[in-house]
Amino acid sequence: MAEALRLALVIAAKDLRAELRSRTALVSATVFAALVLVIFYFSRDPTAVSAIVLAPSVLWVTFAFAAIVALNRAFTVEREHGAIDGLLLAPVPRGALFLGKYLANLAFVGAVQAVTLPLFVIFFNVDLGPALPGIVGTAALASVGFVAVGTVFSAMAVRTRFAELMLPVLLLPFMVWPVRWAVEITARLLDGRPLSEMLGWLRLLALYDVVFLTLCIMVFGAVVDE
Amino acid sequence: MTEPLDPALGRARALTRRGLGISAVALLAFAAACGLALGFTPVEARQGLAQKIFYLHVPAAWCALLAFSLVGIASALYLWLHDRRLDLFAEASAEVGVMFSVVMLTTGPIWAKPIWGTWWTWDARLTLTLFLFFLFVGYLALRAAVHDPDERARFSAVLGIMGLVLVPFIHLSVYLFRTLHPQPVVLKPSAPSLPWEMLRTLLVSVAAFTLLYVGLVTARYGLALAQRARESGDAA
Amino acid sequence: MPPDTGGYMVAGYVVTTVILLVYVGSLWRRARRV
Repeated sequence: MAEALRLALVIAAKDLRAELRSRTALVSATVFAALVLVIFYFSRDPTAVSAIVLAPSVLWVTFAFAAIVALNRAFTVEREHGAIDGLLLAPVPRGALFLGKYLANLAFVGAVQAVTLPLFVIFFNVDLGPALPGIVGTAALASVGFVAVGTVFSAMAVRTRFAELMLPVLLLPFMVWPVRWAVEITARLLDGRPLSEMLGWLRLLALYDVVFLTLCIMVFGAVVDE
Repeated sequence: MTEPLDPALGRARALTRRGLGISAVALLAFAAACGLALGFTPVEARQGLAQKIFYLHVPAAWCALLAFSLVGIASALYLWLHDRRLDLFAEASAEVGVMFSVVMLTTGPIWAKPIWGTWWTWDARLTLTLFLFFLFVGYLALRAAVHDPDERARFSAVLGIMGLVLVPFIHLSVYLFRTLHPQPVVLKPSAPSLPWEMLRTLLVSVAAFTLLYVGLVTARYGLALAQRARESGDAA
Repeated sequence: MPPDTGGYMVAGYVVTTVILLVYVGSLWRRARRV
């Protein structure tokens, strides 16, 4: 068990180091997120509704699209470098392999979110105030779930012909739900509502995370093995 | 060029024919159910004639959910047993399921418009229908995009299982949303207690649709087996 | 007097029948080619 975790961390570290060296993907994903924010800003009617009312939806749609971009690049890079074949030949348990990819993707998505959130505050001139820790926590809780599903699907999508199209088509039906729940929680956080009003959504997020993380660890082997 | 007799191909063809036969009978049953619904069932007072769409929409929903569940179960079994026939069955059930989903997605809005005044509503049934449709389409798109049959079977199975696991979350989410934002219950399309004539008609329709599902999946499965027999015949 | 929603009923039944027949037909055509 500990050995598998150690392997996972080694794989994740290798992935992230390769990413940091090139940096192109991180920069592209961040710029993409910024542009999505800009589109949202320009496409809203300022007289109709205030920015803070839109905030949860804008923030989460941006997070969702940026996550898809991030997940797409994760396996594309690997396909180009043929790195995964080496890993598959080594006796790495598939669960550890998944965890490694997953942790790297999670770190990547988290980094993009960490840059997107301040940009959102700046562009939309929204004061997150005391809601900030809650929003960060919600983002983490939601990302844990959909990044797991995304890691499995991007491993599949990369082996298909229309990889960049296949990933969103497969992933979005699964991503809509944690995003929806995260929006409900974020809206209540910004409204200063008590925790009791968010518990239902939080529990759903936690349940989703546990169930899908477990499921993804179990099925990942079927995706990468011949 | 004469084709060598291939027993597997012959069996597949026979299965396809049997499936089509069952489907033909089911279509007759469907016609009978329609006649029953249109001619021999009382008109609902508040919704008028449009309520009769209920006798098509609900059975289609049942079949779509049945089809989807079987895709999920067959997927799980495939990953465990590696029997290719489970994969082909899942393919058949997915295709038939998407067809029933389309019936749901068209009859739903046609029914909703006169009742609720809107083409679409994010209620439990329509939301689940929409997502079943997306999942079915994703499943079939994935199958179309993977060329190697073994890889296709493995990938589809993973997607099938994950889709099945997602369905309870959709239920929970819609339920949670509904308890917090109670919908106006002005005109509920399906009353909890149906008068006997309506219940009878609904059951007949459900039986017809289920028989149609069985026939169509059998035929489609036969086609899949035939295609596999063809492919391995060519390779031999 | 219930509202006049007969048009919707007809639309619903016609659409359903067409979808079913089209699909059965496509299976039948594919069966003939096999």
